[in-house]
Amino acid sequence: MTHIVNERVMVLLALFLVGGGLYAATFGQIYSSTETAQSPVFFPRIILALWMLLALAALVQAVRAPSDTAPVTSWPRLIVLLLAAVTYTNVIGREGFFLPSVVFAAISLPIFGIRNPLVVGLYAVAVPGALVLFFNHLLGMPLPVSRFTYLF
Amino acid sequence: MLSSLPDALAILLTVEGLLVLVMGTVLGIVLGAMPGIGSTVAVAMVLPFTLTMGQAPAILLLLAVYAGSVYGGSIAAILINTPGTPQSAATCLDGYPMAQRGEAGLALGWATVASVIGGLVSAIVLIFAAPQLAAFALEFGPIETFALILLGMTCIVSVSTGSVIKGLLAGMIGIFLSTVGGDPIIGEMRFTFGQWQLFAGFNLLAVVIGVFALSEVLMRASTALSQTSELVDFKGIVLPKLAMWKGRLKNLGKSVLIGNLVGVLPGTGAATAAFISYAEGRRSSSNGANYGTGEPDGIVSSEAANNAVTGGALVPTMALGIPGDAITAVMLATLTLHGITPGPKLVEDNPTLIAAIFTGFFIINLLLLPLGLILSRVAAPILRVREAYMMTAIVLLCAVGVYFVRGNPFDLLVMGAAGVVGFVLRRQGFPMAPLVIGMVLGPTLEITLRQGLILTDGSFAAFFVGHPIALVLGLTALVALLLPLLRHQLARRPSRQNQE
Repeated sequence: MTHIVNERVMVLLALFLVGGGLYAATFGQIYSSTETAQSPVFFPRIILALWMLLALAALVQAVRAPSDTAPVTSWPRLIVLLLAAVTYTNVIGREGFFLPSVVFAAISLPIFGIRNPLVVGLYAVAVPGALVLFFNHLLGMPLPVSRFTYLF
Repeated sequence: MLSSLPDALAILLTVEGLLVLVMGTVLGIVLGAMPGIGSTVAVAMVLPFTLTMGQAPAILLLLAVYAGSVYGGSIAAILINTPGTPQSAATCLDGYPMAQRGEAGLALGWATVASVIGGLVSAIVLIFAAPQLAAFALEFGPIETFALILLGMTCIVSVSTGSVIKGLLAGMIGIFLSTVGGDPIIGEMRFTFGQWQLFAGFNLLAVVIGVFALSEVLMRASTALSQTSELVDFKGIVLPKLAMWKGRLKNLGKSVLIGNLVGVLPGTGAATAAFISYAEGRRSSSNGANYGTGEPDGIVSSEAANNAVTGGALVPTMALGIPGDAITAVMLATLTLHGITPGPKLVEDNPTLIAAIFTGFFIINLLLLPLGLILSRVAAPILRVREAYMMTAIVLLCAVGVYFVRGNPFDLLVMGAAGVVGFVLRRQGFPMAPLVIGMVLGPTLEITLRQGLILTDGSFAAFFVGHPIALVLGLTALVALLLPLLRHQLARRPSRQNQE
């Protein structure tokens, strides 16, 4: 990437645009009160205006004095973990705690360097299993269960 | 209340009473040390067990877990740079650099002593000065509270390592996140975009765990593989010698005072106290310039204040029925479940129960020292496993912890999103502490600002005319905000002159 269009500039630009978008959204809503202190968007507008101002200042600073972000050792490793984490937090509500946790652990351990399939398999089943056993069956504080069985 | 002390001791010095105090503190320390569990979740996890207990043991068990978890959070903060509880986030700033220097034992020693002193003093304050402190807090109207929160917000500048602009921006993001959901004054929905899950706003714990713990896992995945979780050399707690306290007692005293005062104000909490105290220590301590580099005063500022909050927060809870933070709100619910009506008449109607709770709280804080010395050795090996196991377990435990707060799968989504956003921002040098400070202080800042404007017919200038406390607090906030910027400019001037 060039000096001007780099990761830092892109992130700051995105932050500025998000702030601007949210600020614009405050005008799209109709509220029962528009009086200064009673308007629900009075305080958020102040905060979003400061958000945009600060994002702009940081953006100008980043363009004027470009600096590199820390290099990523392995993008594929990071992207797989990122996707796994986001998917994991998404599916627990639908598929229960145990099964997504087994899959997530089976993906996460090799990413962090555990290659032995026996160890990966054992950990991936034992740790989520122990948590389910402890919370669902010992404490009686149920974690989400899957669509297949009420046990996990 | 002192006349009820013998009866209170009779309740405490039974097998059940002592077991509750010891086991509760042990459980609190262990759960607090586990990243992603946190004090609120730890107390919530124990809550169902208290329903079969008597009134005093039930409250004491929760208090022991509370005080233990606030201290336990420092173990993970110092050893693996991941705060076990949000209250320990400020402890990471100096605890972990100190541990990286090979002084993990001493760092935990400072944290332990500061926590014990903070907790003990707050217990004494709770016992002897509760009515006066509660009365003082009640004198604060919305304008004074607004000025206080504004002062608290200035600590964003202090904790913004690297770039003040990015720190302030992170703070604004945090405050904005706190505005999502129902408007606190007229109840209309804001920024929910038709999503009913957002009606109650973003869960603070989900965001805190996401930006600190989950983003930490992603940060570790982006760097070279390590066999262990950033292992630091730890062979047990090393208590600081008396000579090492020279020049630090003033900072300790100030931190304990801040913790008590912040704790007694409803709706603030230990995380706020820790950051305000840290910022104040950085400003006023003779070692302030070393904050963020492994300075013991930084650990003392954070730990003394967050443990001092525990007692302070109980004052409005017990005396007025107003919870000081989320955990005391759970305790309030427990009191109600046990048939006790919280409110001003609680102390008058239940002197023995109150004496037992307050005395038990003092004993719990005494127990933190021996149990901390023993349990840190047990907790450290748990934290010292290979990075792969630790990182995977952190994600699983975070999911469990976040889910248990409200039993709402949507909070897990929030945690995931906060983790990704936190990772992206941290890569660009954004500090995460200001985001959390913004989220914690944001709601009070908004409510008090709007109530104040309603009271003054929309005149912001009137906030500081006729409100001497607000004026002093507001001016202090202004000085606190401008002083670091001025220092920064003055520091840059000689270097520019040298370049020329």
